[in-house]
Amino acid sequence: MGYPAAVYAPSLPDDSDLARRILAAGERRDADAEQELCRRFAPRIRLYGRRHLRSDAAASDLVQDVLLLTLQKLRDGTLREPDKIASFILGTCRHTVIDGRRGGSRRERILDTFSASLPALTAEAEDAPDSARLAHCLERLAERERSVLVMSFYDERAAEEVGTALGLSSGNVRVIRHRGIEKLRLCMNGPLLHGVEPG
Amino acid sequence: MNACARQLPTSTLLDYWFGEAVADEAAVEEHLMACRFCSSRLRALVQLGDGIRQATRGGLVHAVLSPAFVEKLRADGLRLREYRLQPGGSVACTITPEDDLVVSRLQAALRDVQRLDMIFEDLTTGTSLRLTDLAFDPAQEELVVVPNAAALRALQQSTHRMRLLAVHGESERELGDYTFHHSRS
Repeated sequence: MGYPAAVYAPSLPDDSDLARRILAAGERRDADAEQELCRRFAPRIRLYGRRHLRSDAAASDLVQDVLLLTLQKLRDGTLREPDKIASFILGTCRHTVIDGRRGGSRRERILDTFSASLPALTAEAEDAPDSARLAHCLERLAERERSVLVMSFYDERAAEEVGTALGLSSGNVRVIRHRGIEKLRLCMNGPLLHGVEPG
Repeated sequence: MNACARQLPTSTLLDYWFGEAVADEAAVEEHLMACRFCSSRLRALVQLGDGIRQATRGGLVHAVLSPAFVEKLRADGLRLREYRLQPGGSVACTITPEDDLVVSRLQAALRDVQRLDMIFEDLTTGTSLRLTDLAFDPAQEELVVVPNAAALRALQQSTHRMRLLAVHGESERELGDYTFHHSRS
């Protein structure tokens, strides 16, 4: 599995160009720019959400809330610095997550206040790894690399915790984890040397 | 967008993802939110991690794991068939359609062991495989092995032996052997 092909494709407008177009259109709406902005930022917001909320469902809610608020701020002209669109979105992510932890009602307020429809989100292609190939590549790792990767990624556990369970220092776990994931990535991207056992 | 001129190292992406000490987490997040290339790299790593989780739950992975991790698997609802063996012990074993994973708990005196290897022998076919430098916790006095369940299901009636070896420099010492008489269910 490589990085999404879209990353390598030339993209004409940058993120701030899109924000500028949405700002300029205001309530007339530039649907194409809105769609493209959402398509680009949804995966980044989802990553932020998963990192901080450790839940796919909560991350999906965060994507919706943050994009709704961002589009509304651009449409009504209150987001005046389109060059800082990424910073604005990150700040909105942070506030939304903090508010959620405090049991706040930000999400309800956003949904109640902005009835504006969110463009249908067409996320950048999600290249789910081929399970048979991944199993083959995991088998090719060194034993302790496999132990560390499974115990780290299964439940997204930090190096210190994994190290305590396996009699390793956290620094050692981080080195093994890095080496293992790089080997796995190369194996997933490279030619198969021994074929994949039929599932 | 093409490759980023200030690419975050993979180690930084991993440290960030696992919530570890990143020198300037705020700066990393600013970069990830602004940089399509690096955020895509992190997403690819996370997708690999998701794949590892699914492969583990699906019984597609052979691995040495910790006792606490096995309890986590059980708490997540996976149905585990466990075999606990003393050194020199043997057991009649199987995997049924109701089992998600099989767990072999090999009791061994691991204290003071510096490097641990395992020789896996298929006594039916006469083949063997050496697994080197296993991860283990010397305080546990057992090694928890979770074999590839998909491979187990495909096995015919056969006998397998695991031998644990403590390796120190050029010398090695056998800690125990554990025999599994497998039959299909």
